[in-house]
Amino acid sequence: MGVVTERYPYEPVEVPEGFRGKPVIDPERCVGCGACANACPPNALTVEDDLEAGVRRVKLFLGRCIFCGRCQDVCPVEAVKLTKEFELSAMSAEDLYQVVELRLAKCLVCGRAFTTVRLALETARRLPEDQRRLALICPECRERMSSHLISYARW
Amino acid sequence: MRSSVSKLIEELGGYGEVRVLRKGLIHLKACREDLPKIAELLHWGLGGYFSVSVGVDERPVDGLLHVYHVFSIDELGTYVVVEASVSPAHPRMPSITPVVDAANWHEREVTDFIGVEFVGHPEPGRLILPYDWPEGVYPLRKDFPYDSKVSVGEVPDEVVVDEKGLEGYTKLPVGPYHPALHEPEHFILYVDGERVVDARYKGFFIYRGIEKVAESRLTVNQVPFIAERICGICGYTHSCCYCQAVESAAGIEVPERALYIRSTLLEIERIHSHMLWLGVAFHVLGFDTGFMIMMRVREAVMSIAEMLTGNRKTYGMNLVGGVRRDINEGRKEVVLRALRRVREEFRESMEDILRMREIVSRTKGVGVLTYNDARRLSVLGPVARASGIDTDVRKRHPYAAYKHVDFRIPVYRDGDVLSRLLVRYEEVLESIGIVEQLLESMPRGEILCEEVEIPEYRKGVGATEAPRGEDIHFVITGRDNKVYRWKPRAPSYNNIPSTIVMLRGERLADAPVIIASNDPCFSCTDHLVVIDVRRGVRKVVRGEELARRW
Repeated sequence: MGVVTERYPYEPVEVPEGFRGKPVIDPERCVGCGACANACPPNALTVEDDLEAGVRRVKLFLGRCIFCGRCQDVCPVEAVKLTKEFELSAMSAEDLYQVVELRLAKCLVCGRAFTTVRLALETARRLPEDQRRLALICPECRERMSSHLISYARW
Repeated sequence: MRSSVSKLIEELGGYGEVRVLRKGLIHLKACREDLPKIAELLHWGLGGYFSVSVGVDERPVDGLLHVYHVFSIDELGTYVVVEASVSPAHPRMPSITPVVDAANWHEREVTDFIGVEFVGHPEPGRLILPYDWPEGVYPLRKDFPYDSKVSVGEVPDEVVVDEKGLEGYTKLPVGPYHPALHEPEHFILYVDGERVVDARYKGFFIYRGIEKVAESRLTVNQVPFIAERICGICGYTHSCCYCQAVESAAGIEVPERALYIRSTLLEIERIHSHMLWLGVAFHVLGFDTGFMIMMRVREAVMSIAEMLTGNRKTYGMNLVGGVRRDINEGRKEVVLRALRRVREEFRESMEDILRMREIVSRTKGVGVLTYNDARRLSVLGPVARASGIDTDVRKRHPYAAYKHVDFRIPVYRDGDVLSRLLVRYEEVLESIGIVEQLLESMPRGEILCEEVEIPEYRKGVGATEAPRGEDIHFVITGRDNKVYRWKPRAPSYNNIPSTIVMLRGERLADAPVIIASNDPCFSCTDHLVVIDVRRGVRKVVRGEELARRW
């Protein structure tokens, strides 16, 4: 049989392909849509808008993470990925946060900050050209505009 | 004994409205006064066993509090859900515990959480809520917000324990941590010299209220991950059980390949769970080499799980409607090769160990649970099968892909620790065979049914054979992508009360292995009980007080 124990931590341990380790958000890709926060069972991922600073913060707190990888499943732009990293001990809780800041975009009609610049652009990109402007108008204003159009349209 | 479902329906029809919700699930809406008679018929008349009671606050729906008693009629492969309701103004209904002992804890839990009193219960009183929880606050009622804080009352100085006939014996506390399993439980053993005369149990030291979190905060597809964390050993079975309950409520067809994957992982979980148990049993018997051998062999199984799911223990594979990750064809061969080696090493080690006289003499005839006691307490899984009850959810209520594989259910009649050991030993070998069959015959196709519609207020039951016995989850679907009620019942819930019966008349030195032989799953503790033997007074001490005094 020989020796079956490993020399870890003096020698690294290999984990298999597909191991669900520490999730990492790619700040270059993240659009701040919040799908991950919506799916996250333990609320490790949260989204908050800081209107004063004009930014949306996507926060990942590894202290709550259960490594289920639902964030990776639901991310529409493949910004969240689970890595093979599992050595997560830290000297302070602060070190267990990853924060991604995204600039907020304001509604063209009412001026309210309602989405991130990147998400608005991403949405616009997916819309037909003549409707792209709508991506920069908040849902409430869009609703008002549609009902206005319906009520006053000439048939 | 009756032999057909239609006869059963006819018989139940005398007590109220009977509906077949789906194959293997019968629903009876009964008058609460008839509950003891119905329990008598289902448990003793039809040879079923009592599975779980669920209390549901349905005041937002129909203004009433509901209680669901679930029985399994093994012979007919069906569950019977008996529903009775009561007005919140006078929440009292007859207890079925005098008829079916196994309902004892279940009814007390309903009283704790929903506030329905069971008239005629032989041991009413708190079971789960802490001693300082205020009277009249029922946390699983819908008007109790999940994130609210209650102002706790006074901890009583003395907790009354029924000690009739036990005066004069020495009381020996075992706990608040289990001597081997490192989990909180508390047994009081009443001993006469070396003999255990009787025992009392207190558990639920860290009831976490995850049902409440699931019903209030989580969405349907978030619950499987929380469910998986109910148990630190066999969590995947809970996640499957929950998904099956929702799928049963909503009538969702799960793709066949997903069912094969679920069964494969469930068996891998059973293999590592039983190996862990065998190791712990050997450790408790003072045979630490046996423990080391089991842990070594088991490690290969943990690696298989990690390779297939991405984690050793929390597989995180299930969603309602299927699984999230496919089993890569290339990895099948690796798994099969690893399993062949596991089987060889495991069998060889166990054959050697079972030839050791010390192991046999420390377990044979020790901690006996007779067939009748096992029936009366509705024990489950290996504990039941070691006492001559031929029960197994995989055979009786086939789920996942079990109807496609051949396997044997080991049953022993002696009811002692050795029988429970042998049942688990043989089950490991059977499980390895099941995984091999599943991997070799796995059909191709989809693994997740993505278009899932979940209608409101549908009831579903999911059951799996966990390593420790029948695991059952009861679900009522809700609106806004949530569950209205989710009640998981782990097998240890039904098995732990039998420990007391096993302990009676045994030697004190055998107590640890007897307690461990149930393979109980406890959890961690936040207060402890101090017993002053001289004064015969039990005192409950809270955490802060402990910190002050010691």
